[in-house]
Amino acid sequence: MFKEIFLFEIKYRFKRPATWAYFGILLIFGLIVSIGGNGPASEKVFVNSPVAIATMLTTISIFGIMLSSAIMGVPVYRDIEHKTENYYFSYPVTEKGYLLGRFVGSMFVLFLVSLGLHLGLIIGFAIGPFAGYVEPDRFTDFNFWHYLQPTLILYWTNFFFAGCIFFALVSLTKKVMLAYAGGAILFITYLITLTLTQDIENKNLVSLLDPFGLGPYNNIIRYWTPEEQNSMTVPFSGVLVWNRLIWVGLGFAAFLYTLFRFDFIKFLNKNYKVKKKDESPDQKSTVAALTKIPAVSKAFSNGLNLKLLFRLAFMEFKNIIKDNFFRAILIAAVLFLFFDAWFGFPIYGTPSLPLTYYMLEVKDFTYIILIFILIVFMTGEVLHRERSVNYDQIFGSLPLPNRIVYGSKFLALVMVSFILVNMILISGVLNQIVKGYFNFEFDKYFTDLYLIEFPKYIIFIMLAFFVHSLVTKKFMGHVIAIAIWVLLFGLNSLADVNNNLYLYSYAPGYTVSDMNGFGHFGQSLFWFRTYWLACGGVLAVIGYLFWKRGTDSGRKARWALAKERLNIRTLSTLVILLVIFLGTGAFINYNTKTVNNYQTVEAGTIGSADYEKQLSQYDKIAQPKVIDVKVNADLVPEERSATIKTDYIMVNKSNEVIDSLHLNWGPEGLLKKKVTKFTLNGKEPKLGKKYDDFGYEIYAFNPPLQPSDTISLTLEVEANYKGFPNEGSGSTIVYNGTFLNNNFFPSFGYSSQGELTSDQDRKKYELPIKDYSLPDQTDPWGLSNLLFNDDADYVTFEGVVSTAPNQIAVMPGYLQREWEENGRKYYHYKMEGELDFFYNISSAEYAVHKDVWTGKNGDKVNIEIFHHPSHTYNLDRFVKGVKHSIDYFAENYGPYQYRQMRILEFPRYSTFAQSFPNTVPFAESFGWVGDFSDPNDLDYVYTVTAHEVAHQWWGHQITPSATRGANQISESMAEYSSLMVMKKEYGVDAMQRFLKEELDRYLRSRANESKFEKTLLDNDNQAYVWYRKGGLILYALQDLIGEDNLNRGFKAYTEAAKFRPKAPFTTTTEWYDYMKSVTPDSLKYYLEDSFEKITLYSNKVNEASYKKLDDNKYEVTLDIQSSKNYFDGNGKLLGEGDKANLLEIGVFDNDTINNQGITTKAPLVLERIWVKPGQSKYTFVTNKLPVKAGIDPYNKMIDRIPDDNLIPVEEDSE
Amino acid sequence: MELKIENLSKTYSNGVQALKNVSLDIPQGMFGLLGPNGAGKSSLMRTLATLQQADSGSATLDDIDILNEKSKVRKILGYLPQEFGVYPKISSYNMLDHIASLKGVSNKGERKDLVESLLTKTNLWHVRNKSLGTYSGGMKQRFGIAQALIGDPRLIIVDEPTAGLDPAERVRFHNLLSEIGENTIVILSTHIVDDISNLCNNMAIICLGEVVAKGNPADLTNSIKDRIWKKAIPKVELENYKDEMQVISTHLKAGQTIIHVLNDNQPDATFEASDANLEDVYFAEITSRMETVSA
Repeated sequence: MFKEIFLFEIKYRFKRPATWAYFGILLIFGLIVSIGGNGPASEKVFVNSPVAIATMLTTISIFGIMLSSAIMGVPVYRDIEHKTENYYFSYPVTEKGYLLGRFVGSMFVLFLVSLGLHLGLIIGFAIGPFAGYVEPDRFTDFNFWHYLQPTLILYWTNFFFAGCIFFALVSLTKKVMLAYAGGAILFITYLITLTLTQDIENKNLVSLLDPFGLGPYNNIIRYWTPEEQNSMTVPFSGVLVWNRLIWVGLGFAAFLYTLFRFDFIKFLNKNYKVKKKDESPDQKSTVAALTKIPAVSKAFSNGLNLKLLFRLAFMEFKNIIKDNFFRAILIAAVLFLFFDAWFGFPIYGTPSLPLTYYMLEVKDFTYIILIFILIVFMTGEVLHRERSVNYDQIFGSLPLPNRIVYGSKFLALVMVSFILVNMILISGVLNQIVKGYFNFEFDKYFTDLYLIEFPKYIIFIMLAFFVHSLVTKKFMGHVIAIAIWVLLFGLNSLADVNNNLYLYSYAPGYTVSDMNGFGHFGQSLFWFRTYWLACGGVLAVIGYLFWKRGTDSGRKARWALAKERLNIRTLSTLVILLVIFLGTGAFINYNTKTVNNYQTVEAGTIGSADYEKQLSQYDKIAQPKVIDVKVNADLVPEERSATIKTDYIMVNKSNEVIDSLHLNWGPEGLLKKKVTKFTLNGKEPKLGKKYDDFGYEIYAFNPPLQPSDTISLTLEVEANYKGFPNEGSGSTIVYNGTFLNNNFFPSFGYSSQGELTSDQDRKKYELPIKDYSLPDQTDPWGLSNLLFNDDADYVTFEGVVSTAPNQIAVMPGYLQREWEENGRKYYHYKMEGELDFFYNISSAEYAVHKDVWTGKNGDKVNIEIFHHPSHTYNLDRFVKGVKHSIDYFAENYGPYQYRQMRILEFPRYSTFAQSFPNTVPFAESFGWVGDFSDPNDLDYVYTVTAHEVAHQWWGHQITPSATRGANQISESMAEYSSLMVMKKEYGVDAMQRFLKEELDRYLRSRANESKFEKTLLDNDNQAYVWYRKGGLILYALQDLIGEDNLNRGFKAYTEAAKFRPKAPFTTTTEWYDYMKSVTPDSLKYYLEDSFEKITLYSNKVNEASYKKLDDNKYEVTLDIQSSKNYFDGNGKLLGEGDKANLLEIGVFDNDTINNQGITTKAPLVLERIWVKPGQSKYTFVTNKLPVKAGIDPYNKMIDRIPDDNLIPVEEDSE
Repeated sequence: MELKIENLSKTYSNGVQALKNVSLDIPQGMFGLLGPNGAGKSSLMRTLATLQQADSGSATLDDIDILNEKSKVRKILGYLPQEFGVYPKISSYNMLDHIASLKGVSNKGERKDLVESLLTKTNLWHVRNKSLGTYSGGMKQRFGIAQALIGDPRLIIVDEPTAGLDPAERVRFHNLLSEIGENTIVILSTHIVDDISNLCNNMAIICLGEVVAKGNPADLTNSIKDRIWKKAIPKVELENYKDEMQVISTHLKAGQTIIHVLNDNQPDATFEASDANLEDVYFAEITSRMETVSA
C-alpha cells in the first residue's frame, strides 16, 4: 500500500511544473551566486571553500521554509482541494499507508528539489573561473564531501524539520493556511533566538534553541581564519549535534503524532456546528407559488458607482482583516516590530532610550519584509476572491464596471496599508509606554508614517496588483512578486546596483534626528515617491487592462480584452502617469547625476584607480608646512551654506627648494565649493596644471620656496548644497548641527587616503598590491611627518566664526569674545600653545552644561558640554568620564595641556566620537540617549569619554610619526587608558566582561581579514588590531608587570615625546623600547609574543572537582590543558610554544554584585602560575565552597576559545 | 426583443474548438439548449454572459452588441452558471441584498421586498439567516436561481439549473421560469430532454461546438416521425446491430435491451414502430457524430 502511494506521489510531483520551477529557481540562484562570487566568502577565502558552501546551504535552507511549506503542506490538502477525499478514502487504503506514502514521497521530492541549489553551485563553480566575475585563483577544486557534509547535517535537516511541521499542521487541521502561519511562527522563534544571541553569556542555550542550526554553526566558525575556512568542514560535534537532534527529533515527533492521530473519518467530517432541526422545506410551497416577484427600479449612475466602490472596498477590507492568515502574519510582523524596537538600538550591548525615531526606524528591519509579503498575499487573495470560492462567474456577469471592481480591490489594500503603517505607531508608543518614556512626538510619527511610509506601501500594492493581474495563477503570482523583490534586493546589495532610479520603490535613505528633525531629506523623498507612484500607477493600469474578469484565461482572449479596455479613459490615464513618471525621472536624474555626480560603485572604483595611476607621481613630494592657522567662518545654517576664509603661514621645512604648491581638493562632492579668493603672499598664483576629475591643482611658487622660507596663504571658499543626491545626505552643513573640519580646505600634495586597498580590486585595475599604506619605522619621509596630517607639524590657531542668532558655534581654543552683528552671532576663539593640525567648526542650538575639574595641586580644567537641549539624560556620565580620566592621566602620564575640555553633540548622520584638541564631538546617537539604567550594561559614555580624553595625551601631546604601527601609539594607548580608568572605577574583578568583549571582537574581525593580519608594531590600518588586541595586550601587560611599573615607562615616554618640535617624530620602536625597559627579562617572552608576533593561546579546563576536607575547607583539583600557538597573518599555524607561560589560575565563589550594582567575579584563590604547555593538574585549598574554577578566568590572554576557560566545580564522587 | 448569434467561433488556448460557426436566432420566451457533455453549451452561455471572449462572429441583443458592449449586457442579465460557489460565511439574505445593490437596485425598500419575495419564491425563507456554507446542494442551487432573477433581467441564462434538485423542486423551478414575463429571453441548457419539451418553444441541439438542429421541439419531432423503430435484443448482439443499421439509442426495460433505430423503412419485421419523441431527435443527431469522433 505504502509503495503504491509513495510511487504515485513521486510520479504526480514530477509531472507538476511547480516542482521543476522550484528546482529551477534554486538552480539559477546557485548559478548566480557561484559565478558572480556573491557568496559569503571574504577576499582571502575561496568562493567555494567548505565554509562558504556550508554557510550558503544553511542560509538558503532558512529561506527554504517557503519551499517546505509549498511541497509538504499540500500532499494531504490536495485531496481536500480537489474534492477527491470522499472517494479516495473509501478505497482499501490504511491511514498509515496513505500518510506515510504521501509523507515519504513528498519529502523525497523536497530533498530532490533542494538539490537544485547544489547543482547550480557545482556547475557555477566549474564555470566561474572562466566567467571573469571573480579571479580564477579564488576557486578551489571541487570536493564532493564539502557539499555532502553540510547537506546532511544542516541543509536537509532543516528541510526535514520544517517539512514535518507543515505536513503535520495541514494533515491535522485541514487548513493549508496554517502552513504559512506555521512559517511565521518558525520565523518568530528564529527572531527570539537571534535576539538572545546578542547576550554573549547565553550562547549555549541560544544555540540549542535555533531551529535552523545557524547559531551553533556560526558559533563554531566565527573565529575561523581564512586559512581555516579554506580547509576545514564544520565539525559535527558538541552543541551542534544536540541542536540537530532536538530539532530533527521534534520534526519527527510531529510526524509520528500525525501518523497516529490521523483518522479518515475525522478528516472527512466537515466542521459543522450543531445543526438546529428546523428545516421544513415544503410547508410554504403554496406561498412560494403565490408570491410575485416585485418589479424594481434600477439605477446605474456615477454617484452610485462611487458609493459601490467604497462599499465593495470596505467589504474587501473587512474580508482581509478577518482573514486568519492575514492576522497570523500581521501579529508576527507586529511582534517583530515590537521586539526589534525593544532590543533594536544597543550600542556595545547597552540599550538606547526608546526615542521616537528609533521606534520609527524599526519599520525597515523585518517588518517591511513581512509587510511586503502580506501585501503580495493579500493582493492575491483579493484578486482571486471570487474565483477561489467559485463565485466568479456570477460576480463577473454583474453590471459592475471593471474600474469599480478593480478599484475597490485596490482601495481595500490601500485601507489595509493604512492599518499597517499605524501598527508602527501603536507598537512604537506601546514600547515607549512600557519603557516609561512619555515624550511621544506624534508629529514625527505622523510625518514619517503618513507622508513617507504610506506612499511606499501603495507603491508595493501597485506592483502586487500588476503581477497578480497578469499572472492568473495565485501561487505563481506570489512567487513572481516575491522573486521581483528578492531580485531588487539582490541587485542592490549583492551586485552593487545602487541607483535608486532603477530599483522599483527605492528612494534615498533618510535619518530623523532630534537635533535636525527631518532635515534636508524631504525634497528628494518627495520626488522619488512621486516618481515611483507614477511608475506604480502605470503598472496598476496595465494590470487593469489584463485583469481577468470572467473565465477566459487564454492569451489571445486576454490581449483582446486588454485592447477593448484600452479606451480613451485608460489611455489618457496611462499617458498622464507616464509623463509624470518620465518627467520626475528626468528631474531626479538631473539632480543626482548632473548636479551631484552620481557614480556607480564600479565607476567609483575605477576613479580611485585612475587617481592613483595619474597622481601617485606626486606622492611624498616636499610641500611647505603650515605653522599658523587663522580661520574666518561665516556659517549660514538656515541655507546650508558657508563662506570660510583661512590664512595660513607656511614654512618650507624640507631641505629642498619647492617650486610649486599642490592643492588636493578631492573630487567634487555634494558640498559645492567655489574659491572666491586665493593668494600666496598677497598675490594670485598662476595655475600650472589641473586634474579636473580629482580636484587636484598645481600652482607655481614665484619665486620658488627655499628651505626655511616662510609664505602666507589666503583661501576663501563659498560652499553650499545643490539639488539632492542619489544617496548620502551631505550632512556637514545642516539646519541644526553643522559639523565641519579642516578637510573643508584642500590638503597639499598627493594623499594615499583615496587609493584602493583591496588586493582584489588592485589586481583587477592593474595596480601593485600594497601590503602597507605607511612606510617602515626608519623611513626618513615617515619620520619627518605626523600621522594624522602631513601638511603641518604642530600649529597655532585662532578663528572667528559667525552663525545663526539662535545657535552657538564652536572651534578649538578659548572663547575670547562673543557678540552680535548684522543679525548674526559671532564667536572669537584662540588656542594657547600648539596643537596638531586638526580642527572642527560646529554650530547648533546648544544648551551648555558646565563643571570644573580640580587637580591635586589646585589646577583647574573647565568642563563644558554642548548638548541638544532635551538630551540631558547622561550629562553626569560625560562629566564623570572627563574627571576620572584627567585624574588618572594627569597622575600617570603627565599634565593636561589645556585649561578646558569640551564635549559637543552633532546629529546622528554618523555614529562616532572623535577627539579634537580640547574638544570631543559625540554623535547624537552615541551616548546622549543611551539607557544606562541597568548597571550591568556597559556605560560606554564613560568608557568612550575616557578613550577620547586619553587622545589628548595619546595623539595630541604625543603625535606619532607617519610610519607603520604609529596608530597603536594613539589608539591602543587610548584604549588601554580607558580600560585603566574602568578598572579603577569598577574594580579588577568586574573587568572580565569587558576583556572578553574585546577578545570576541578581535577574534571575529581577524576571521574576516581581507589582507593579512599585522602585528602591533607594524599595523597601519587594522582597527581591530589597534583597539581590541592593543587594549587587551596592554591590559594584560600591566597585570603581569604591575600597573605602576608600566605607567612609569609611559610617563617617561610622554616626557620624551610630547609636542616634539621637529622630526624625527616618534615610532613604535621608541614606544616599544620604553615598555621593554620596564619589563623584567623573565616576562620579555610576553612582549615578543604580543607585539612582534601573532600568538593565540588555547587554555581550557578539562575537569574541576572538589573534596570536602575536615576543617570546613575544600580541596579543589583542576585538570588543565594549555597551549600557545603562533600564526602568520593569514591564520596559518607556524609553530607551537614549548616554554612555560605565566598564567592565572583561580577558584571562584558565585559572582557577586559590587556597590555600583555591577556583577563581579568573587575569587577564592587566584594565583599566577608558570604553566607548561600540555596537560597539568593543580590543587588548591579554599575556605568556602568552590563554585567555578579555571585558567585565565578573566580572559586576559588571547585565547581561541574563551568560553571554556572557566567551568563549574563538581564534587568528587569517590 | 431578439438575440441574434452569427457565426460565433471560439478555440481555447489548449486547442479545443468549443464553438464552430454557431448561428442562432433566439426569440423571446424560453429557449432550450440541448447537447452532450462538452458540446459547447456552457461556452456559448458564458460568451453570452460576457465572461468569455469570442474569436469571431457576433451576437446582438436588439441593438446591443453583446461581445463589445459588455456593461450594457450586464445591466439586463441574469446568469446562473453550471457550477458556482458562495461565500460560506454570509447568509443568503445578506448576499442577495448585496447582489441586488450591485445590480443597481439602489432603493432600500424595493430591495427588501425583492429579496424577501425571491427567498419565498425559491423556498429559502426559513433558512434566510443561515450562512451559505451550511446549505445543502439543492438549497445552494435555489439560491443560485434567486440571484439570477434579481433586478428584472431581460436576458436570463441558466446553465443546467435543475441539476441537483429533487423532483418537487424541479417542478417548482419550471413554474417559476414559466412565470417570468413575456418580454424576456430565457436560455436554458440541460441534458434532460423532457425539460425542454415541457418548457421551450424553441431549442437547438449542439454537438461538438456546432448547432446540429434548431427549431420548435414539435417540428423537430415531426421531422423524424415514422422513422423510429424499436426492438428488444439480447445484449450480446448489440454490436452486430450497430454495424448494420443506425442505432441511435439503447436503453434497458425490465432487464431487456431495447434499441431505437433510425430508418426510413421498417428494417425488418422484428422491429416495431415507435412514437418519435424529442429524445429520439436528440440521439439521432448526436449518436452518429459522437461515434465518428470516437472511432
